[in-house]
Amino acid sequence: MERETGAKEGLKGWLNPGKIGKFGIERLAWLLMRLTGLGLLAYFIGHIWETSHILDGKAVWDKSLEMTQTTEGHIFLALVIGMCVFHTGNGIRLMIAQMGYGIGKAERPDYPYKPQSINMKGKACIYATLGMAALAMWYGMAVMFS
Amino acid sequence: MMVLRESIIMKIHYGTALGALSLTVVHIMMRLTQDFHESLAYENVIANYESVGYALLLELLLILISVHGFNGLRVILLEMNQGPTYEKAVTFGCLAAMAGLIVYGSRTIFTASGWI
Repeated sequence: MERETGAKEGLKGWLNPGKIGKFGIERLAWLLMRLTGLGLLAYFIGHIWETSHILDGKAVWDKSLEMTQTTEGHIFLALVIGMCVFHTGNGIRLMIAQMGYGIGKAERPDYPYKPQSINMKGKACIYATLGMAALAMWYGMAVMFS
Repeated sequence: MMVLRESIIMKIHYGTALGALSLTVVHIMMRLTQDFHESLAYENVIANYESVGYALLLELLLILISVHGFNGLRVILLEMNQGPTYEKAVTFGCLAAMAGLIVYGSRTIFTASGWI
């Protein structure tokens, strides 16, 4: 395994697909947690701005709603739903892990030095969260396109 | 400089996450318990704001998500770079943005509710 030269790679380090290949699904979950967090914060700021149009009367409100009442708008909202479900599910997994559940017992590090905390339980939770996010996006699209 | 320890801040981060999750479920159910498009009609949304309980829920949701969101942004920015000046700038920048968003969102809630 090559030696990590430093922790200051910034965005380049975040988005390097080689890192996901090297460190596995946990690394993808780490990256998605940050990307979905930033995406949801951006959406939240936009949502607060959009809902403030209610103060300008019915015509302005209806016009601002038109932004999301299109096919592209529905797809964008479905992405927001997916981001929200993944961020929530993965966040709950991290909280549970920080409380010490599901990360194994501490033991002497022996070859091949596999960390106890990176185990099948964690991986299964990440895959389940990705699946739930996909299901929620599908349900959201079914409601919006109905 | 730090008034709160990082461990306390993370407890606040998790607490706001769980609070926001519960209130978001109620917020979304308000849209899904009736026809989605009708629920977004102007008259319906105004009626939502005029309900004191729902307006309070929105205000609480606004505060919880703002605190959680901007603390998350602070954590991400501090992961990427460190240094006393940088950390101070990030912390105060996030606090200012959080306060600004809460004030802006509260203005909408209080005005639409007819409280001001």
